[in-house]
Amino acid sequence: MKIFVVDNGSQWTHREWRVLRDLGVDTKIIVNDTSLDEIKDVDGLVLSGGAARIGWESAKLGNIGEYIDKGDFPILGICVGHQFMALHYGGSAGPSDIPEFGRMEVEIHKASPIFRNLPQKFTAWESHNDEIKDLPKEFEILASSVNCRIQAIHHRTKPLFGLQFHPEVEDCEFGDDIFRNFIEICRQHSEKKHKHE
Amino acid sequence: MFNVDKFVKEETERLRERIKGKAIIACSGGVDSTVAAALAKEAVGKNLIAVFVDTGFMRKGEPDEVKCMLERIGLNLRVVKAEDEFFTALKGVTEPEQKRKIIGERFIRVFERIASEEKAEYLIQGTIAPDWIESGGGVRDKIKSHHNVGGLPEVMGLKIVEPLRDLYKDEVRKVAKHLNIEVHERQPFPGPGLAVRVIGELTRENVEIAREANAIMDGEMEKAFAEKKVSKPWQYFAALLPVKSVGVHGDLRNYGYMIALRAVESIDGMSASYSKIPHDVLDKISVKITNVLGKKVNRVVYDITNKPPGTIEFE
Repeated sequence: MKIFVVDNGSQWTHREWRVLRDLGVDTKIIVNDTSLDEIKDVDGLVLSGGAARIGWESAKLGNIGEYIDKGDFPILGICVGHQFMALHYGGSAGPSDIPEFGRMEVEIHKASPIFRNLPQKFTAWESHNDEIKDLPKEFEILASSVNCRIQAIHHRTKPLFGLQFHPEVEDCEFGDDIFRNFIEICRQHSEKKHKHE
Repeated sequence: MFNVDKFVKEETERLRERIKGKAIIACSGGVDSTVAAALAKEAVGKNLIAVFVDTGFMRKGEPDEVKCMLERIGLNLRVVKAEDEFFTALKGVTEPEQKRKIIGERFIRVFERIASEEKAEYLIQGTIAPDWIESGGGVRDKIKSHHNVGGLPEVMGLKIVEPLRDLYKDEVRKVAKHLNIEVHERQPFPGPGLAVRVIGELTRENVEIAREANAIMDGEMEKAFAEKKVSKPWQYFAALLPVKSVGVHGDLRNYGYMIALRAVESIDGMSASYSKIPHDVLDKISVKITNVLGKKVNRVVYDITNKPPGTIEFE
């Protein structure tokens, strides 16, 4: 199982790498302008968060649009990675009315493989100045918090998932379970892909 | 999972290949640099010289304790008294990034002198993941310049070797345990020491207040651990805030500084929540600080900020 972490400059990029490694995944941190050719054989990608402000600095996010469009593997976008997905599909993202930092309760409204076996409410760890404002129709909202309506999304037909909060930090409840679910999503996708070959 | 055995074998081998001739290792006595020193000693043996710099910002009694501990590990140790050098370089400086950069540069200048005397080309450091992550660079924003990464001067005459670069504190502790090093339960203490626990200018007097406040907190916390009133936080300390407020001492007006106590729970220092220390323990620390340091400190506050939004240390 090979899942790479695309570094968009988060304080917690290396944590994402560590959690994946600890769960037995073959993983590596890559720069976000790595060509798609070099990563074609991965089973999945995690797009890290980062300090880039989504409203006016999305150019700092390198080639991740191409990974979303052309990569045949599941993608988990975290924080700015999650915001970018919405933006890329024609939605909008920008400064939060109330940015969230640290402890925050998140409530799940809609079942999704990324939240398999999670309770309806849990304590997440946040660190964001921006958020998704309008979600493109290809996506569904999965969870929200009191200050932020779009805490989690998934694509209706493709294996694309986005989280505004940070499952990779130790203080986030059920963070490892979310990563386990993503690994399982990647495993199933690879299996299907290889059957068709 | 992090494989300690594999890590120690591979990293020792890598150090052996990389280091030709003599090397010095920057040793503060903390878990990171001590583990790096033990690995390096395994790899290069007698060609390793450990350097402990007494910056003047160490905790109470620390220089002697660290010296004994490093010698017990069998390191070839040089102690450099550089208190005057650090205080002079930092005179009048209050901006935290500038403080960290001056401290980083001072360390390197001391190491360069020792390296030149010892004819060593390499400087081994106990840098761990949060140090370079928080120091920023490339697409990553700078949160604070860790003295051993973002605080390094642009021009320096030493080759830096960092065997623990990809590890977090919990993993370093596992390595320490594996190598049977006694530091593995020590409190994290930043390289710049009390310099980042005195907010504002670093005068000898202010550093002394912070030193005493930290010693009092340590003592009371140790008692509370022994009485099982509180479990040991991941890190705890006292910081001197440059804010003055009014107090009353024996019917007289008093105008003194403030001490902030901080204690956090964490695994790796990259996120943290504040510790729920029982009020009676906080009360004892507060009473003792305001009595022992009464002329200078008349108010004690407890920091209830998580990370994020706060960082663990104040600067």
